[in-house]
Amino acid sequence: MTKRFLAALFVPASLLAADTQWILVQSTLSYHLAHPLHETNGVSKAARGKGVCHDGQCDFLIAVPVKSFDSGDSNRDLHMLQATRGAEFPLVQVRTHLPESARSASSVQLDLEIEFAGQKASYKQVPFQLTAQGNGVKITGTIPATLSDFKIDPPKLLTVPVKNELPIKVEMTWRPQ
Amino acid sequence: MKYVTGLGFCVLICVVPQIGWAQPASPALSGTVNNPSGSPVNNATVTARNTATSESAETHSDPSGHYSFANLPPGTYEVTAVAEGFGTRQLTASISAGAAQTLDIALGSASTAPNLGDLGFPTSQTSGNAADQARLDRRTHMLQMHQRLGLITAGALAATLISSGGAGGRSTSSSTRDLHAALGSMTAGLYFWTASYAIRAPRIQGTPTRGPIRVHKALAWVHGTGMILTPALGIMAFDQKNKGERVHGLASAHGPVGWTTGIAYGLAIATVSFKF
Repeated sequence: MTKRFLAALFVPASLLAADTQWILVQSTLSYHLAHPLHETNGVSKAARGKGVCHDGQCDFLIAVPVKSFDSGDSNRDLHMLQATRGAEFPLVQVRTHLPESARSASSVQLDLEIEFAGQKASYKQVPFQLTAQGNGVKITGTIPATLSDFKIDPPKLLTVPVKNELPIKVEMTWRPQ
Repeated sequence: MKYVTGLGFCVLICVVPQIGWAQPASPALSGTVNNPSGSPVNNATVTARNTATSESAETHSDPSGHYSFANLPPGTYEVTAVAEGFGTRQLTASISAGAAQTLDIALGSASTAPNLGDLGFPTSQTSGNAADQARLDRRTHMLQMHQRLGLITAGALAATLISSGGAGGRSTSSSTRDLHAALGSMTAGLYFWTASYAIRAPRIQGTPTRGPIRVHKALAWVHGTGMILTPALGIMAFDQKNKGERVHGLASAHGPVGWTTGIAYGLAIATVSFKF
């Protein structure tokens, strides 16, 4: 009886101390590139992500294959893959962290560390909007990336380079595991 | 008198140093960064961000794990500590005017942070391939040459078409025909040089052709055929004109084929340059 009581006392405590995990269940990431002659959007739905919350703090990792971005033009996609050194560095990796309590907020400002094209860049206080979806959370925002942040030579069309700005629009739905 | 002298001496040794060497201001925020077992963490990056103004300051912990921020304006701060091998920790601190705040930070275990292996990507998608990158680099270089030469060829082709007006009519001279023939020869040479870069550019396996590049390639069959036929028909037309004959037979197709080739070539450039 005493053993059962102790088990009942300690099992919930150990459960409370356990890490909470979040899984990225749906995502749309799209980059935007502007050239004087036309503008391009490349979209990927192939991102995978995981978040681990421990002691009220959550660490997140999101990764997406560079070659999964589709602009609707295979020639342009191959050119982007080359310019971003996507064969040598096949994944874009994003790391961020936030307090677990941020789940209930309607917006958060995240510090992001992005690894792309063999380079790392940090973005401070990037605003994102949070929307509750069932027991999950949908997060949307735009990362103000530029080509020069990752030392990418701007691709050229008819000898004219694209603009340096490479904003990446993010829509992700996370669910606790 | 002794009393006054003693008092003056006391003022001298007690007060003057206070005036001469002002005490350093105590830090507005300080504390110790520790690892999960409580030992100090050296060189942790500690950032304090004012939540109202978003202004931030950064410092690093010393070998005893101690960090400090001086001159932080009063307000609420998000304090984040990051160190190699540990999970990130973010806490909140309130700084009041003139009051020092102590905030010790315990970093989480690194094992809590997710890693790439947790995401389940196949190895083929996570490991880089220098040979594939080299193939892409070579492909891009050759297609850039294709683009540049293609633009030069477009100029030569336009000049050839413009000069055709003085080369084929009744009131034409042999000099304008010679100019047209010379421009046409140069255009054909440039054209095949341009095409060779696109033809020899490495193919990338597993990437089906999609989008405007399909139209660009389809039009290449039209202007490629035209660029073979036009000079051949041009030679026939040139001979007939030099003999004083009216251009006839197959040679009479030289003009229409040449213009069709020029239009197809222009469209091919437009398909990859503009968004329709």
